Amino acid sequence: MNLHDDPAEAAFRAELRDWLRSRLPDDDPSRTWSTAELREWSRDLSAAGYAGITWPREYGGRGLSAAYQAIFVEETARAGAPDHINIIGMNMVGPTLIAHGTDEQKARYLPGILSGRTLFCQGFSEPEAGSDLAAVRTSARRAEPDGYLLDGEKVWSSYAHLADHCLLLARTGPAEPKHQGLTCFLLDMRAPGVKVSPLRQLNGDTDFNQIILTDARVDDADVVGEVGKGWSVALSTLAHERGTFGITLTARLVAQFDRLLRLVREVGAEDDPAVRRELAVLHARLQGLRYTGYRSLAALRRSGEPGAESSILKLEWSLLHQRVCALALRLQGPAALLDGGDAAWHGYWQRQRLRSRANTIEGGTSEILRGIVAERVLGLPRSRQ
Amino acid sequence: MDFALTDEQREIRQAARDHLERHYPPLRVCALAEGPGGSEAGAWPELIRQGWLDDDLGMVELTLLAEESGRCLHPTPWWTTVALAAPYARAAGEQLTVPATFADGGGTVRPARSPQGWTLTGQVAAVPQAGAVRCLVVRADTDQGPAVFACDTGSAGLVVAELSTLDTLRRMARVRCDGTPARLLVGPDRAAEAARTARLRGGVLLAAEAVGVAAGALDMAVAHARQREQFGRPIGSFQAVAHQLTEAYVDTESARSLAYRAAWLVQHEPEAGAQAVDEAVLVARSAAVRTCETAIQITGGMGVTWEYPLHRWLRRALWLEAYPGFGDDPHDRVAERLLRRADPDEITPTAPDGR
Repeated sequence: MNLHDDPAEAAFRAELRDWLRSRLPDDDPSRTWSTAELREWSRDLSAAGYAGITWPREYGGRGLSAAYQAIFVEETARAGAPDHINIIGMNMVGPTLIAHGTDEQKARYLPGILSGRTLFCQGFSEPEAGSDLAAVRTSARRAEPDGYLLDGEKVWSSYAHLADHCLLLARTGPAEPKHQGLTCFLLDMRAPGVKVSPLRQLNGDTDFNQIILTDARVDDADVVGEVGKGWSVALSTLAHERGTFGITLTARLVAQFDRLLRLVREVGAEDDPAVRRELAVLHARLQGLRYTGYRSLAALRRSGEPGAESSILKLEWSLLHQRVCALALRLQGPAALLDGGDAAWHGYWQRQRLRSRANTIEGGTSEILRGIVAERVLGLPRSRQ
Repeated sequence: MDFALTDEQREIRQAARDHLERHYPPLRVCALAEGPGGSEAGAWPELIRQGWLDDDLGMVELTLLAEESGRCLHPTPWWTTVALAAPYARAAGEQLTVPATFADGGGTVRPARSPQGWTLTGQVAAVPQAGAVRCLVVRADTDQGPAVFACDTGSAGLVVAELSTLDTLRRMARVRCDGTPARLLVGPDRAAEAARTARLRGGVLLAAEAVGVAAGALDMAVAHARQREQFGRPIGSFQAVAHQLTEAYVDTESARSLAYRAAWLVQHEPEAGAQAVDEAVLVARSAAVRTCETAIQITGGMGVTWEYPLHRWLRRALWLEAYPGFGDDPHDRVAERLLRRADPDEITPTAPDGR
């Protein structure tokens, strides 16, 4: 057991911290980034070697362990840096193609994903397939001799309005059992029959999109893995998402908590006993979350699988973030009534308070996650038939 | 960073669990709880043979033993010995090998010096396990300031009167001494430092025991939810039941991470450990109480009977929540360090993010 970086990790962290400090001198939570700025930021990250940290060297990555990815997400969160614009390509699609893709697919897509030239989105969820993802209805009809036509609707797709390609789950075998008739495809987002429109969230932002597919064409060469094996490909994609995702979320919450402390001082609530008690509980639980993430990372390093305790990270993170944002608004008293330019921090906390409501839903609802812990960790009998 | 137990630490934990499960199944623990001493005096030589009082056990190893002890409510005075008394013996360069506990006689016990040595006179209202131990470590105020003494429970003028106690496996007792011979363990010059270290070590082991109490109660509730059937199904298949157990699991794992982290820091960077210990105590105490309450809820009508063992775990959780031995409510200390940053180094236990 050692709670410190080893010398190589410490060097990586120091170098990254310097690089970030030169690029982002101060954390300004109310800053908004234009697409052009995000593209530039992402190009610079790639050029500096901070894209594909855990990708194998043969595919242009740095071949480092998840511990380095954890350092990367901690330091970028601390600096208030935005995501790489191709985060879905880098963290989900790339690893999926490395595991399941053909040599042609790897050669065609991986270099562009790393450089940020080829942007990806993901098309899994549908209006009728949320928690029950295997219920996807988007159909892939055979179009002889060498392709399929896609019809259906995908929702909650981040970056779809910018993406060049989409990793998409569709039904190739409508007569087969639910989990067997699915196939994963790489869809060209510029193809005819692909229409993207923004989904407006309850806080007014548009982080996600709807994708309507009308006879959109994919070729046999665009199948990822085997036809009919899309469910296991999708599960491996989601597993990649959950790999260091918990650590990413936690690192951002640590930065968010620092902002909360800044707000406590700004409004002069340092001596309010109720505020102090809530801060202590939130901070202690946040440290519990953080060190549970490190425990999971150590298990990942030893066995290649995150430990059972990793299943609690997203669950606990979402509830803590909601509490942090709720306290931030309570601290503002009647000023919490304002929003936008008239509110403190240009309405940052108002937006976060509303946005955080989705935290217990997106990326696996708390109910689904509790079910997973109950069955797979506690070994309780399955709740659904 | 490598936040994982070593193979040797895993072996220590497994050996402890095997030993405790063999000797202390719940029914035996319940019988001892209702017996005269609330603890098994004859077990001590075996604990020594098994290495539970070895001098070279680190904080992480002690944490694992305390956790396993909490899991099955290990009914000996081992916890009071290592968590409360041993840190003072350690500060004096001694090793404690007899069952012991700590009595805070600050303001109520008066030391006196005679040509034959020190004597203590006064009383301490509530001392954990005083009736089950052979050595009392007593804090008392000398003219030069607080100091720490050790005395044998069989010494002249010492009267131990057991009190009715919420957790009968860790009974409180009133200790009176009247000219009782005692040995100076830590003089006034070093008593403050010894007390600080004792608070850190004791806090870690309190958190560790709380984690074990939570884990033991959760295990019992999960086993019950797997086999108990109602409406023709095991009740663990109902989401309303399963999700409550999941919440308890989240609390317990979070507390465990904090306890291990605090143990490592107290061992390797004691000056950095205070915040980590407070955080571990705060989360682990509430995890223990909440998990025991959940476990009783899940075991239903059975869980609220005297015969069903779970109330023993709840009593221990409530004991740990109320035990005042390590200073004021940790919430306020945690908040104070966050807001004032009076001692910023103290809250920088690891490199990652500067807190």
